[in-house]
Amino acid sequence: MSRRPTSSLAACVWVPLFPLRCEEARHEGLSAYPTALLAPDTTRKLWQVSPLARHAGVKPGMTVSQAIGLCPTLRLIEPDPVHYDERFSHLLSALSEVSPVVEPGELGLAYVGTDGLEGIFGSPGKILEAIRRTVGQSDGRTVRLGWGFGKFVAWVAASRSKPDEAVIVPVGSERKFLASQPIAVLPLDTDIHRRLRQLNIRTLGALAAIPEAAVTAQFGDVGKRLWRLAASRIAEPVAGRVTLEPIVVALTFFTPVSERELLVHSLEQLIARALNHPRRIGWRVHAVRLRADLEGGDVSENAGRGAACCAPTNRSWLVNVILKDPTADGDRIAAPLKVRLDQSPPTGAVERLVLEFTAFAPGTAELQLFARDAAAAARAGQQRALHHAAREVRMRVKRANLYHVIEVQPWSRLPERRYALIDYEP
Amino acid sequence: MVAPARAPLRTDRLRAVNEPRTVTVELHESGLMKVGRLGGRSVGNVEAILESWRIDDEWWRQPISRSYLELLLEGGKRVVVFQDLMTGLWFMQQP
Repeated sequence: MSRRPTSSLAACVWVPLFPLRCEEARHEGLSAYPTALLAPDTTRKLWQVSPLARHAGVKPGMTVSQAIGLCPTLRLIEPDPVHYDERFSHLLSALSEVSPVVEPGELGLAYVGTDGLEGIFGSPGKILEAIRRTVGQSDGRTVRLGWGFGKFVAWVAASRSKPDEAVIVPVGSERKFLASQPIAVLPLDTDIHRRLRQLNIRTLGALAAIPEAAVTAQFGDVGKRLWRLAASRIAEPVAGRVTLEPIVVALTFFTPVSERELLVHSLEQLIARALNHPRRIGWRVHAVRLRADLEGGDVSENAGRGAACCAPTNRSWLVNVILKDPTADGDRIAAPLKVRLDQSPPTGAVERLVLEFTAFAPGTAELQLFARDAAAAARAGQQRALHHAAREVRMRVKRANLYHVIEVQPWSRLPERRYALIDYEP
Repeated sequence: MVAPARAPLRTDRLRAVNEPRTVTVELHESGLMKVGRLGGRSVGNVEAILESWRIDDEWWRQPISRSYLELLLEGGKRVVVFQDLMTGLWFMQQP
């Protein structure tokens, strides 16, 4: 596995309320209404709230009944974490066209390493323009951009920026820039935030003015890190994503095989083995190569690599597939390979079948919230199964009698007030 | 890519769960207690009253006063009924 590339100069790309923006992008006109996204966990409380809903007093963490009480026209949206994962993966892929060093943060937040990009794009402003153009097609209206030395400065700059105006912090002026920023930009928990406010420390400048030892004595190692961030004593570089080495699995047949069914079965076995490879955990497969050494050919290690398809002295068969949506689902990986097996099958009996996963996409960074790839894949599979089941129900009974149970007033002494049903449309 | 069929959920599409269903509760002179549905269908004869409790709530707007009974019916089925003390009507509901 190669080393992670890093970059000291960072651009921060932030799409606030990313999941909500994803929903607005696929439901035209939704942004005109007060909307709220339900939490993806079992609490069924509100997770993200649109500015219009917030204006009506609705806040994240509220129960549905509280929110409806405040805003009767509120539109509730079931969360679709798989879709948000995919959209975020697309965003990261787009950013990697600008720089090879892209580090995902939480959902909707990413850092782009810009060391050396001056030679390509020019000034930091030009680099940010290139980033805006890249993400502009999908998130251009809502993206916030900041640039600075280290991730924290870039993040604070992005949080201060406006949708059409990036904030650039010149190298050397970080401390001056940070001094006037509110302490809320620090990665604080609510308790430390409350205590700092009680101590009348409201800006990073005020925090940095206190001796480091005093802050450490009060808040421990966490406080020490916060002080160093506030005083611009540390600048964490952007750490690019690791490029995985290909995962290769192979199957050698005792007697050469030409039956399609047997080849398909072997292919499924190989995919299952490759997916179970420890290096694959946390990654989704983006590109797959399937090759076969054919009977009578040279079965050296390099056979089949490159464009050696069906060469007379080195008989082999090769298929390269780029998956449109990276996945960790065996069936989805197998589907395009089976199609190729049907359309242009090997020209002879297969002695050895080799499967390679050659490119990967991260399980995205929602991962603190939704666990890494295995869970994401399971969720995607579950979502697909639900979708199919719902479609079947609709076909049979002409309308979808599917509902989701949500908590309304779970504390109520009156049983009928505790839960409600809401239409379920996976 | 085809957009998924999911649509935003409107609050007017919320449906209540576990709404009380009207039932009849008859107490015969012999002491036999029967629970029946409105159409005349019987739910069952009561073998024992397992528990009773009362809920008084929301006195500040539309007062709610209910007397709940958890009943064991012949055959072993357990049901919960309550009498709305404001109207005198009986209802069955999951606890």
